[in-house]
This record gives sequence, C-alpha cells and structure tokens, in this order.
Amino acid sequence: MAITPLSSPFFNDKEQDNGKDAEYAVFLKGITKIFPNGTVANHDVTLGILKGEVHAILGENGAGKTTLMRIISGILKPDSGEILIDGKPVRIRDPMEASRLGIGMVHQHFTLIPEFTVRENIALVLATSGWLNLKKVDEKITSVSKSMGLEIDPDSKIESLPIGKRQQVEILRLLCQDVKILILDEPTSVLTPIEVDSFFRMIRDLKSSGKTIVLITHKMKEALQISDRITVLRAGRVIKTIPTSEANEALLASLVVEGMIPATVVRRGTPGAPVLRVESLRVSDDRGRPAVDGLSLVVRSGEIVGIAGVAGNGQKELVEAITGLRRVESGTVRLALHDITNKPTRFIIERGISYIPEDRLHRGVILTMGVHENLALKCIGKPPMSRKSVIDRGLVLRNAENLISRFSIKVPDPCTSVENLSGGNIQKLIVARELSNGGEVLIAEQPTAGLDIKASEAVHQELVALRSKGIGILLVSSDLDEIIKLSDRICVIFGGRIVGEFVPENLDIERLSRLMLGAE
Amino acid sequence: MTNQLVISRGTKRSIVRALLSVALTLVATSIIFLINNVNPFLAFIYMFQGAFGDINLLSETLIRMTPILIVSLGLAVSFKCKIWNIGAEGQLYIGAMLGTIVAIGIGGGPLALLAALVVGALGGLLWAAGPALMKVKLGINEVITTFLMNFVGIYLVQWMISYPFRSPDTLFPESAAIPSTSALAVILPRTRLHLGVVLALALVPVVYFLLERTTFGYKVKVVGESPEAARYGGIEVGRMIFVSLIFSGLLAGLAGITEVMGIQHRVRGSLSPGYGYTGIVVALLGQNNPLGVALASLFLAAIMNGSSTLAWTMNIPMGIVDLMQGLLFVFVLASEPLMRFLERRGVLKL
Repeated sequence: MAITPLSSPFFNDKEQDNGKDAEYAVFLKGITKIFPNGTVANHDVTLGILKGEVHAILGENGAGKTTLMRIISGILKPDSGEILIDGKPVRIRDPMEASRLGIGMVHQHFTLIPEFTVRENIALVLATSGWLNLKKVDEKITSVSKSMGLEIDPDSKIESLPIGKRQQVEILRLLCQDVKILILDEPTSVLTPIEVDSFFRMIRDLKSSGKTIVLITHKMKEALQISDRITVLRAGRVIKTIPTSEANEALLASLVVEGMIPATVVRRGTPGAPVLRVESLRVSDDRGRPAVDGLSLVVRSGEIVGIAGVAGNGQKELVEAITGLRRVESGTVRLALHDITNKPTRFIIERGISYIPEDRLHRGVILTMGVHENLALKCIGKPPMSRKSVIDRGLVLRNAENLISRFSIKVPDPCTSVENLSGGNIQKLIVARELSNGGEVLIAEQPTAGLDIKASEAVHQELVALRSKGIGILLVSSDLDEIIKLSDRICVIFGGRIVGEFVPENLDIERLSRLMLGAE
Repeated sequence: MTNQLVISRGTKRSIVRALLSVALTLVATSIIFLINNVNPFLAFIYMFQGAFGDINLLSETLIRMTPILIVSLGLAVSFKCKIWNIGAEGQLYIGAMLGTIVAIGIGGGPLALLAALVVGALGGLLWAAGPALMKVKLGINEVITTFLMNFVGIYLVQWMISYPFRSPDTLFPESAAIPSTSALAVILPRTRLHLGVVLALALVPVVYFLLERTTFGYKVKVVGESPEAARYGGIEVGRMIFVSLIFSGLLAGLAGITEVMGIQHRVRGSLSPGYGYTGIVVALLGQNNPLGVALASLFLAAIMNGSSTLAWTMNIPMGIVDLMQGLLFVFVLASEPLMRFLERRGVLKL
C-alpha cells in the first residue's frame, strides 16, 4: 500500500465541496495550529464530519488529534482555517460558545468534581443564572437518562463511582446540555474489556438517537469496531479519510505509522530462583484506608510478572511499599536474601531494586535539571561518581553520553534540561538510568503509557532483553494488551489482593475481566 | 574541558533576568525622582560617587557589603532547596551576641577572635535549628517560624544588652567592647576596611564549590526542584531541608559576629539595619548563584552608601534606600513572568 503524499490529502468526492452542504455537522477547512514553542500540532487540516455518524480520528500520540478536537470545542484557537457548523462558518471563542453550538467534549482526564454528587456536577453546567433550580435539573437528568437507558443515581458522589460510571456521567452531562456533537477523547483507555462492550453499546444508542460522535483513539481495533468512517492523522496532517467498511487493520497501520514496525514475537522467559517475595502485605493509601490488603506475590529471576487490574486497586501503594516510598503496615517484602520491609529508599535502591515510575514528570525526572544530572540521580552518592562527597563531573558527563548513545535518547547535548525532551525521550532516559543501575529486580509501572508505537516497542524490547539477562520484572500496567504480550504470569489485582493468576497460554479474557471488576 | 567557558542558555537567561530587574528598578526610581523635581541622572551619578568616589568611600561600601554577602550566600543555599529562611536578621543578632560574649569572656588575642567567630556562627545555626526542626518534624511552614523568631531573637538580644550583659561604662543599652587585640585587623591603612571582607569574598568560591561540585549541592538542588523525585532517588528530603536551613543560619550568625569583630566592636540595638532582609533581595537578585550573589550584594551596598551622599547633596531622604530595595524585590519577583511574557511575544530571544 503506497502512502498518499503528505501534501495532498485524499478526500472522498463529497468532501471536495466547501462544506457548505448541510450534511456536515462539522466541517474543518485548512486548520493550522502552531504552538508557541514551534510545534506544528495541526497543518492545513481539512475534514468533514457527517451528521449522525460515528467518526473515528485515528493516530499516534502527538499526531494532533486532541489539539484538533480542542479547537472544535473552543479550548484552543486555530492560527488559520475555518470551522463550519451545519454549513455555516462560525468562530468558537470558548467552550461555552461551543456548547451553545451543540458541541461537547469528554476529556481523557475527567472534569467532574469528585466531592460533588452527580446532580451537583450537572447543575454546575446548566446554571445560567444565579439561581440554582435543582428540581429542573432533576427533571432533566431523569428524562435524559431514561431516554438513553442509563442507570445513574443523581445523589451518588462522583468519587464513589467506578470509572466506567463516571464516564457515563460525563456523557450524561453533555446530553443534559442538549449537545448534538459529542467528542470523546480516548474514551476506552480507562475501561476494562467488559466496560468497553457496554460503552460501545451506549455509542450505538447515541448514534441511533441522532447524535454525531467523534471518537479520538489510537487503537485501530476500536476504530474498526465502532465507527462509520475513519480519519487518520499523522504529524498534524490528515493522511486519509475512509469509510470503515473499506478499511482493515493492515491498511490503517500503514497509514498511522510511517514505515511499518515489525511486531516482535515475544518468547517466554525461563524463570529461576525467587528474587522478590512479598508476603501478606498491608499498606494504607493517602487517606489511611487499607489499599493493599494482605497481598502475597513472588517474582523469580528471568520472568515478567504482570499485574493486571483497574487503576486504584492498590497497584500504586504496592509499588510504593516495595520501593520504600510508603510505609508497610504489616507483612514483609524480601529481596533475595535481604529484608527490605520499611527500609529507607536508598537502602532498597542499593540492594538492587530499579523502578520505572508511572508519574514520570514528577517522580521519574527533575524537569528543570540537566539530562546528565538526571541520569546520575541514583548513583551520584557513591564512588566512582563521587568521592568524599566531591562529584566527578567528567564522569557524570561521560556516563550521560554513554547512556544517551546506548539507548538512543534524542537530546541536543547532555546538559539540556529535561523539560525540553519529548515524552518518549524522557521515558528512554528513565529506562536508561534504571537499567544501568544494575539491579536484580525491576518494577515497571505503566512503562508505555502515553508513548507512541515505536517508543513503546523499544521499551518492550528492553524489558524482554532484561528478562533474558535473568532480571525479575514486576510489570504493573492498565494496558491489558501489554500485560498479555510480555508477561510469563499474569496476576489480577482487585481490592488490594491478588484474586487470580493466569499463564498467557491459557488465558480466559472473559474471566480475567470479571476478576478485574471483582465479580468473582 | 572547553565547554566550561561556554555560558549555558540557563545562565544567560539568569543574567538577563537580573539585569532586567535592576533596569526596571532604576527606571521606577527615576520616575519618583522626577516627580520630586530631582534630575535622576544627576542623582544616580551622586549615588555612584557616594559609593565608589574615592578609596575611603569604596572601602566603606565594601564594609557594608561584607555582612550582606555572608548572609546572602547562606540564604542562597536554603533558597536553592526552596526553603525560605526569612529569619536571617534574628539569626544574625543571636550570632553576634553569643560570639561577643565569648570574645569578651576569653579576653583578647587571635584565639578569642577565632572562638568568637565559631560560636557566633553556631549561634545563628542554633537559632535556625528551631524552625528547621519544626519544619521537618511537624511540617510547620518555615516562612512563618523563621520570620517570627526574628522578633524573639532581636528582643532577646536587646534585653541582654540592657540588663545581664550591659556595658558598665556607657549610658546606652549596649554590650561591653571586645578587646581591641581580638578585633578583625584593618587591611587598608587609614580606612576601616577589615579582614571580614576577605572572609566574605573567600566564602564565595567555597559556597560555589559546595553547590556545584559536591553531592550535598546536588541533593539540595534535587530537593528544591522536585521533592518527589528526590524521595524516589533515595535522597533524605527532610535531612536536606534541615541542613540547608541551619546552614543559612550558620552564615547569618557569622555575618553578625563579623560585623561586631570588624566594625562595631560591641553589640548595639542598631547592629544591623536589616542585613538579614537585604540578604533575601540579594540572594533572589543573584539567582542563588554565589557569583551573582557577590555582585548583587555589592550593588545593594552601593545603594545604601550612595544614598547617604544623595541625602546631603540633593536633600533626598534616606528612605530612598528602603524604597529602592522594595522596588528591587518586587521587580525580581516579577522578572520571571515578565521574561516569559517577552519570550512569548518574541521580543526576547535567548
């Protein structure tokens, strides 16, 4: 499949008119957006969204999908180009204006107020005057949720709802505003497989009730499953818009990524002796409630143990307890011969636990400091990096140059501050530092979240290479595909306990999902 | 290494930021001069002459610079750790008092001088240790505690020089004079310029080395920039906060006792015209870089001394010192958002 040249986007015949045709709910004409730092997020994007269709915007991270949708929903202003709603050119100054035009967006990170009830959250956006008419709000909620077949108790607090329900509330909130065009940004990234199914049902219901839906996603399968048409974005430009009936995964993959990436076949590891042993561990969360509740776990050398689970079931606290960042209430954490329960972090690092944290920007790196200083974070305190507290600056620099070339981190020079690096390169930096640490256990927490396909693949290869060197790896991820691809054993975590274990060869996805939701 | 001479983008930006703050302060002051029918150019020339006009004036400015520089070097370390020690003034007074008691107690000679300097510095450290402990153990904001400890410290010293340590031979509340043999030696004949200025300048490379070349400096920086990353990297955050705060107290105490041993020779209620506060402005203007701090402290000392010339030549009240210091403080704080604004507009390219 030859890729259409970037400068001449391919359109369907219909789309070559100027979008004046009222068939289009939204028509974008030549939208360009350049950020102050010079990033071209969208370049001359022309794109039509038909009334009543489910339109998937497909592309890698950083392809400009979210920026484009933020322009439509009035959060960002385009540098040039025109937006037509129902064939009429409009200028969308802010989200309020967008909602008056019938456009609403559900963001990747939800914008509900956790301490408020469903009713209060919805009342917040419906309030047009100083008076709060809760009765009217209630009527609205009841009528809308009845018509959509949603079962939501308006009195429940957002923080008490599971993620899937919260998403429904987000959508309900838009529907209460009489939105006609719904933009959903990576809606399935937080859902379990079962929740995804019911989410898709909801999308179909919305469609049949006449709504127009724009779905931002980087998952080809989803786009193929649910959409009517697919637009592929790459590097801020429209590559192609095609009806879903004419698309398949191979075609989409060749459009999404420039040059195909060979999917690595991951062979299983050969586990040896146990290196990390967690026994009946109890840990509390920030509010003092039990988060890890009598959890036991073994990681052997040369194996990857995947922890599958819905976020917020104790994964974070488990990892923090192992790495010494959170106090262990009871139970033990043992690393080969050492007891590392409640030991200082430095002790644990020196005994050989490496850790790739989920919160890269705040925990994994010091954004305002140089790449070389970041790479030295875990070894600067001991020889040869420093002697009698005096740093060998030459060595710090050489070490950085070494790791930069070994892990092909893209930096102008080793002393650049990390804030100038892209997300993928920041992750490479963290991986480089943690792997060069020479530990026998690696804890990888969401190691590819937010990375594009190429960068994710590179991280996966590093993890596999490390396993064949005999390192024990604990992989915590909310990306089930990643867990299934890499793990030798899959442990399902729910409510702070391991509730099930699978080997990938005889994996029962149905049962895994049920376990993740605590249904068994 | 060749790349040591190349000024990095970050450093260049810091320099521009500092110069921008100074320029804005001078402009704002000029406007106030104009409102009062004073020619600003003439005023600044008199000010400059008052600070650097002859060898005597120059040495007075260096004398003025000495305590400011020592205080602000310490503050630079705690500020790097993002620990805001507002209590240098109190730490300075306590250091001066304890050091003086030791100097008088031992009575004369270089040993007394040395002991006084050490005890003075430790006094400042002690006064900072209270807020430091409260910060680390109880999580109480150090801005409040260090600031309030100023009043406790200064009034405690005033009571000490009014009652238990009051000099028997004067009418004013002040301590006895230190023996002249233990004073810091004058290094330039016919001036008051004393060894303290050498001590202060020598501290510049020492603090620079500490911040840039040691693991202590590295850890202070990491804790300041990202406590979360510091914890993750195995750095004891609480310990670094404690140490950097008492280190700034140590230098504040040293500044106080240096002022006594070099210039005042006894503790008075008027020992410091707010050097502890001036140090905050200086450390911020110098962007916590020891070299920048040295230049900034010379600048502030020049404003202080130049203003007295201005007072009698052009009849401008001495309050102009506080005014300029205040403006400088505001503009230093405003300079970062201002720089970002200018960079966004493309006016400033670095």
